[in-house]
Amino acid sequence: MEVGLTHYLVLAAAVFVVGMVGFVVRRNVIIMLMCLELMLSGVNLTFVAFSRELGNDAGHIFVLMNFAVAAAEVAIGLAILVEIFRRRRTVDADDLNTLME
Amino acid sequence: MVTSRSAVMAACWLILAFLGSAGLYASLQAPFLAVMQVLVYAGAIMVLFMFVIMMLEGPVMPAEARRPRPWMLLGAVIPAGVILAMVIWTIKGVSLPAFPQNLPEGFGQPLSMAHHLLGPYLLAFELISIVLLVAILGALALGKSERSKPWK
Repeated sequence: MEVGLTHYLVLAAAVFVVGMVGFVVRRNVIIMLMCLELMLSGVNLTFVAFSRELGNDAGHIFVLMNFAVAAAEVAIGLAILVEIFRRRRTVDADDLNTLME
Repeated sequence: MVTSRSAVMAACWLILAFLGSAGLYASLQAPFLAVMQVLVYAGAIMVLFMFVIMMLEGPVMPAEARRPRPWMLLGAVIPAGVILAMVIWTIKGVSLPAFPQNLPEGFGQPLSMAHHLLGPYLLAFELISIVLLVAILGALALGKSERSKPWK
């Protein structure tokens, strides 16, 4: 069987879904951020697969932009996380419930 | 990656996943992206993650105290299954052609990327550099110690 666009799309959806489940289930904020990265990775795979399918590598530019956005997101997210840890001594999302009280 | 208890192991699995997707990019005739994936994701971003894990948790990471509640698991798995089923159902409906054999000259090569980035996508290129600059400034401002903040 030849590997085609379908396989890549299903794989990308699977990667996205695994990231999504992890984001909802896990309570450690570091791991939640890592799951966000996994979701972005799934989207990137879709872009590259369609780029290959259409024979137009402009789609790669979107992936490059996604890289930059992911890097910015991680830098800010981890900086916020470090600041939260300094104040609250926890990285558990369930303990960060000040707005619920 | 999602099921591993310790954050360090999760990060290691994520690096593996990123290296795997770099291989997939290479198999999709995107050599430049494959290299960038290894450099940016598996390199820079995961080093940042590892750094923060080591800094916050110390070498011995306490296992997550609570197991995921069943309603939480349900709330994650049902939408995930719906999304996956939707994608597969949509793809099944249409017959997608196989990948074209003849790609344009220099497909996915750095030169072609440069022509795109400095041609039609110049505005996006400039804007993303501003995004990165603002992110750096924001991270710096957040990371400063409390007393030395100029606005305090």
